[in-house]
Amino acid sequence: MNAQRWTMAVGLAVAAAVVMKTAPALAHHSSAPFYDATKKVEAQGPVTKFLFKNPHSFLYFQAPDDKGTPVEWQIELGPAASLTRTGWTPETLKAGTIIKASGQPSRAEGSHGMCCARITRADGSPIVAGGRVTEEQQPPR
Amino acid sequence: MRKIGIIGVAALIAFAGARGFLTAYAQAPAASAQIPNLAGIWDGGGRVRPVNSETVPWGKDNFPVLNERALAYQKVFDEAIAPKYDCQPATPPAIEYDPYSMEVVQMPDRVVFNYEKDDQVRTVWLDGRQPTVHDMSIQGFSVGRYENGALIVDTDHYFFDITGFDDYNGIPSSPLKKVHERYWREGQELKVTVTVEDEMFLRKPASYTTRWLPQRPGYKLDKWDCDPEASRAPVKMMPSKYK
Repeated sequence: MNAQRWTMAVGLAVAAAVVMKTAPALAHHSSAPFYDATKKVEAQGPVTKFLFKNPHSFLYFQAPDDKGTPVEWQIELGPAASLTRTGWTPETLKAGTIIKASGQPSRAEGSHGMCCARITRADGSPIVAGGRVTEEQQPPR
Repeated sequence: MRKIGIIGVAALIAFAGARGFLTAYAQAPAASAQIPNLAGIWDGGGRVRPVNSETVPWGKDNFPVLNERALAYQKVFDEAIAPKYDCQPATPPAIEYDPYSMEVVQMPDRVVFNYEKDDQVRTVWLDGRQPTVHDMSIQGFSVGRYENGALIVDTDHYFFDITGFDDYNGIPSSPLKKVHERYWREGQELKVTVTVEDEMFLRKPASYTTRWLPQRPGYKLDKWDCDPEASRAPVKMMPSKYK
């Protein structure tokens, strides 16, 4: 792959990685009533469903809660219309893929949701090959 | 001679057809002092303007002055019951500021606004027609005119909407909502000033100004096709005052 193509691939993947952290704030609604920006939660487990839709895409995966009980987690992502432009497709994350996620936890008692998440493969590498994982950014308010 | 005549007629027909449908997508600045060139696909996303929120586009300098009815609605409103979680589309003054793309198509008798967000279409009639009570709709009924290099749009005949003014702050709108928009070009920018009055909820008109930039060449509006399951999925993550 020549240098120009490599640069473009990295650029697209970086954009995809950034979208995975900031896209939920893209204005269908504010994240503040739903997720607590002052806290952080981490979990790891296999993907169970990837809902690639508008107004928001959702990634579901199974991981233990703080008591060790397996629960289904829900990560809120940006709209499919935005994710598509960074190269994501409904097939990007297949069921069974192990992911690691950290992000803002949902506020509702008993819920297991996350937004503004940093999502990687189990070994810490980006979801999209060639991408670069960066620190979380506080979504715009 | 006959061939020249046929070619000439064909050219005349082709020219008349082209002039009959002004759907130019060049996004070049106005050719006419009176009719601005608004046609094309415009980017209203985060690279162009701050993303909407509780304080954008309604901030401390222009936040609407609410009357007692609006304040009472805000008290009972809860994000969990917002109709957008059931795929109800946005309307003015919110939809102009949603951070997605918009296509403008200019024709002699109308201007059509296609919004990527919620797949909404607004038709602005330029032919002088006026709405009747049968023309109430979620996007209202829009009439317009060109004036001093701008497109002026006046819209009313809206349905009642529990978040029809602003869904971040839970401000409703009534069938008395009237939206006045002024669109013009400044170089590459498409700009608008949106002014809203609604005697049922606002003590005085409220206004904001914003802009779009041309979308990249070849861009096509994505289908929004709101999914009911995906739309409602965030709600269970939020504590609600209602069970």
